[in-house]
Amino acid sequence: MEDYNEFQEEEFSTKFNGRTIQRILSLLKPHWPWVLGFLVAISVVSGLDSYFTYLNKRIIDEGVAMRDMSVVFELMKPYAALLLVQAAAVFAFIWLTGVLGERVRYDLRKKMFEHLQNLSLSYYNRTPVGWIISRVTSDSDRVAELVTWGMLDTTWGIMNIITAMYFMAIINWKLALIVFACIPVLIVVASWFQKKIIKEYREVRKINSRITGAYNENITGVRVVKSLGREVANLDEFSGTTGEMYKAGFRAAWLSALFLPVVQIITAISLGSIIWYGGIQTEFGGMTLGGIQAFIAYMTFMLFPIQEMARVYAELQHAVASAERIFSMIDAVPTVIDLPGAKDPGTIKGDIVFENVRFAYDDAPDEAVLSDFNLHVKQGENIALVGPTGGGKSTIVNLICRFFEPTQGRILIGGTDYKDFTLHGIQSRIGVVLQTPHLFSGTIRENIRYGRLDASDAEVEEAAKLAGAHRFIEDLDGGYSGQVGEGGNLLSVGQKQLISLARAVLANPEFFVMDEATSSVDTLTEALIQQGMETMMKDRTSFIIAHRLSTIKRADRILVIEGGQIAEMGSHSQLMRQKGHYYNLYTQQFREELTGKQDPFLTGRPATAS
Amino acid sequence: MVTQGHLDQTDLKKVVSQKRFQGLVGLLQGNYRAYAAAAFSLAISALCRSGVYLLLAYFVDDVLGKPNFQTQVPLVALGFLGLALVQGIFTYASGTLSGRTGERVARRLRNYLYDQLQRLSFGFHDRTKTGELIQKVTSDVDAVRRFIAQESIEFGRIISLFLVNFGLLLYINTRLAWLSIICVPITVGMSVFFFGRISKAYEAFQNQDGALSAVLQENLSGVRVVKAFARQRYEIDKFEKENWSKYLLGRKLLMWHSTFWPISDIITGAQMLYGFYLGAQMTVAGILTLGDFIAYVSVLAWLLWPIRNLGRVIVQMSQGLVSFDRVASIIKEEREPLDDGDYQPAGKPRGELVFDNVSFEYESGQPVLSNISFRAEPGQVIALLGSTGSGKTSLVSLLPRFYDYTSGQILLDGVELKRYSRRYLRENIGIVLQEPFLFSRSIRENIRYSVADSMPDSDIEQAARAAAVHEVITTFPKQYETMVGERGVTLSGGQKQRITLARTLLKNPAILILDDATSSVDTETEAEIRAALKRLMENRTTFLIAHRIQSVMLADLILVFDQGKIVQQGKHEELLAQDGIYRKVFDIQTMIEEEVQREVASATGQD
Repeated sequence: MEDYNEFQEEEFSTKFNGRTIQRILSLLKPHWPWVLGFLVAISVVSGLDSYFTYLNKRIIDEGVAMRDMSVVFELMKPYAALLLVQAAAVFAFIWLTGVLGERVRYDLRKKMFEHLQNLSLSYYNRTPVGWIISRVTSDSDRVAELVTWGMLDTTWGIMNIITAMYFMAIINWKLALIVFACIPVLIVVASWFQKKIIKEYREVRKINSRITGAYNENITGVRVVKSLGREVANLDEFSGTTGEMYKAGFRAAWLSALFLPVVQIITAISLGSIIWYGGIQTEFGGMTLGGIQAFIAYMTFMLFPIQEMARVYAELQHAVASAERIFSMIDAVPTVIDLPGAKDPGTIKGDIVFENVRFAYDDAPDEAVLSDFNLHVKQGENIALVGPTGGGKSTIVNLICRFFEPTQGRILIGGTDYKDFTLHGIQSRIGVVLQTPHLFSGTIRENIRYGRLDASDAEVEEAAKLAGAHRFIEDLDGGYSGQVGEGGNLLSVGQKQLISLARAVLANPEFFVMDEATSSVDTLTEALIQQGMETMMKDRTSFIIAHRLSTIKRADRILVIEGGQIAEMGSHSQLMRQKGHYYNLYTQQFREELTGKQDPFLTGRPATAS
Repeated sequence: MVTQGHLDQTDLKKVVSQKRFQGLVGLLQGNYRAYAAAAFSLAISALCRSGVYLLLAYFVDDVLGKPNFQTQVPLVALGFLGLALVQGIFTYASGTLSGRTGERVARRLRNYLYDQLQRLSFGFHDRTKTGELIQKVTSDVDAVRRFIAQESIEFGRIISLFLVNFGLLLYINTRLAWLSIICVPITVGMSVFFFGRISKAYEAFQNQDGALSAVLQENLSGVRVVKAFARQRYEIDKFEKENWSKYLLGRKLLMWHSTFWPISDIITGAQMLYGFYLGAQMTVAGILTLGDFIAYVSVLAWLLWPIRNLGRVIVQMSQGLVSFDRVASIIKEEREPLDDGDYQPAGKPRGELVFDNVSFEYESGQPVLSNISFRAEPGQVIALLGSTGSGKTSLVSLLPRFYDYTSGQILLDGVELKRYSRRYLRENIGIVLQEPFLFSRSIRENIRYSVADSMPDSDIEQAARAAAVHEVITTFPKQYETMVGERGVTLSGGQKQRITLARTLLKNPAILILDDATSSVDTETEAEIRAALKRLMENRTTFLIAHRIQSVMLADLILVFDQGKIVQQGKHEELLAQDGIYRKVFDIQTMIEEEVQREVASATGQD
């Protein structure tokens, strides 16, 4: 995730946007009682803090200085009671603010996730997964932090300063004026420091992601590093990067170390002025002992609210930038959506017709991936797509599944433009098996059931049997309850493919699409996969992006797709006789398959891990 | 540039091999004075802060309302300022010195670990997961840095504030002082207890965060499947479950926080009030002066409130120690001695290699190679044929001494291989792997990777031409400056492989290892790569690992491997004449060609 930090940093906007701030605040709307609650609680806490100092002053002046213990005792009674009140308010503000923060995070994540489910594939094609994850995790954190703890700290700071000023003015308004004069100075200094400090920390984070990258490369490339004897030069380079890290880290530490003393000295100057000014007046300008003590306390503790407010202010623009990125994602409009009046077709059985279809991706509208494409597929026909990578095979499949829609032209299902149907109506009736089968963490049973959520265990097993997956599942540890691991990584590619076939079988689609795996799987699994595919293709219209000869030969019609067009079309023997692209492709493939099957090194014995 | 000086000479291995505490202290080597000064500054600034209150007491008792009032006041005001100044300077000194120490220690650790990783044996890398290693060398190093620069300092600050202020209380009045810290053990105990719980709750919260991210990650990478099955609702429900459970765990964590702080507020507040009351009583009774009382009130606050954070700091420090242990575990690993070896010839080796009854095992009792014997003359091509796991790659890994053989002898130019230093061998052996590995830097830097930076650009281009990749490179807008890897262009397998060939050509090794170098290459460029390989093999003893007969036919010696043994060796013709695997492989390949012809005939003939 670190890698995307830089990505994030670059598109960072510095201008405040009133609309964005309004929109951020609107996140709190449904929870306004909580907001009100924590604002009241923190106001009580900070007001009481100031009042306690004032009470101390009265205890000193009216009780201790007058040598009157009864006054001391009388004043301590409300003091003790208010301490309990304050503790309750502390509980309330931590709980309300914290829980609200978690709630806002939860809301944001939920909103983003649900929106993501509706976005079209074109959005995913141009947006890196890591970038999206950063939006859902770190950006939502930063925004939630701002509207909860950020708002709390600011309120606390403002209340603290106002109430402290109020009591100081009560004690001695002339001397209080001296203190007021130094507050703006403190605020300016504090904001300057916080901005600088945050900037250094961002720098540290950036260099840190470079360091992580260097470690990563050094570990994954260790064999090359060793065989090329690059150790010394590598360390030199790395030491340069850690040197930068040292400098940035030290600057951050240096600024933080300087900040507090500077602020304290400014406070001390005003404190000194007060004593000096008070001292040159008769009777200390009416200042009492307790008054002096209270002034010192007020001023010593005033720097904390100012520090906090400066920090929130410095974070503000980063949080606003985070919010802008979040909103840009939430505002992204899905390109493939149900048209008004779209209806569920009830069935998608029927002929499929491509009519002058042209397709280009959004980011390169002039480069047609598919142009002037015409095709008529009869109900129940099995089509094999072959041809070089990038020729347009996957695009055809994506268009049929309506992951994308034609830029020009129409696709008709049973005589109707498929845009007149709902997306769900089409996609829930198509079974898809991808080239790199994606499984979700969980059990095998759960993964197969993904095809039809209300299927019983018996139906799941039945589907697995039809797909040829049953036998290997039985042999696994845990059988159907065995875990597949993250992304299915506990299983081999062939096994994953069998499970995703079973998943498609269970869905019992009216239309079947498969992208065959290019990587080799062992002969037995291969045979099982073929069996599963046969089940799926029977009586169903199907499109297979084919890499295996047996699949190709079984098809009713073979389409050789090159440069976004149909280069050759026909049955196996027709195409062989043409001695064109297909002929070359086929003979080469045939040779490779045989080599793979016959190689005594590969088939003699199951390969052991080296 | 920061000077490295003697710092980087420190052998951290020796340092961390001691007991944990000594090891941690040892990490500070070279920064002892700075760190001690940081600790000293802490104490001074705490003293100054309390000094302010002493001055206040003096002001109240001896200046206010006294005859010398007018002359004394400016001095007192200056005194306040002076104390603040001194306090500020020492606060700053402590922060900056500890910060610098932390950064220095972290930098030294990072450099050492980086070097450690590239010098540890293959055995170590074979058994260690990349993710775990990265975790240790980044987050754990940072935790150690925080331990030194922040947490220990914060701990010291709390303790020194306590000691100094308590000293001051003792100075004001002994009985009052002891009665003022009754709550301290309770606060400390509670703080330690609560923060222990909080860190556990936090861990659960973080784990849930991981689970949530995993669901998100899987959903995003499986977006096609989700859409294909129209399972959006199902996915939303799945995410909702994890999302909600994270919210609940967050609430639990907050429950601990929102209980701890008010309770400790009440305890500390009660102690403050009790102290006030006692102090007031003593003042009224004339035991304390008014100034003492005022100082006491302020000092008490500085003593009691920071204590509450002790638990947090202790928990953080214990986590820092765990991180230290993890970092130390890497440092303690034995490095591969690059320069060990008593035989150091002046020039390049001729490249004559003799294997005499060589056996090798990664783990004892599981031989990977057994009784390997053969002879390679300088400049010869030796082909290794066999299935995956038959020992071919293990055999060539012995040559640069990535691993050392268990028994038998390998002689290079008549001298036992183990007498050469690893550095010498690796300088003179070039390896081209099946999966070409390039570094995220420019193409030029990738080709120049193994030679001096002073290598002229013309040589680099010449190597690229010889590797048949120059033409491709010049089609890129930035040519040789084109970045490779994540942020650069996407190169095809064949292009990458040719760049690694150029890299190896430039290194000009006497011995060459080609580990299945053409298998990841697309067919269009295979011919070009073969030609480049041929140029590369000229005048070098070459070990060629391959799967197909065509690739090995022309070799001077073919070794057929099966289960770690050489089952056949000889030239192509000799092996063909024998009854064995080799001929079987050859027959199959011939048969395949015939089969292809038959298939074509049948497809085109039938109607």
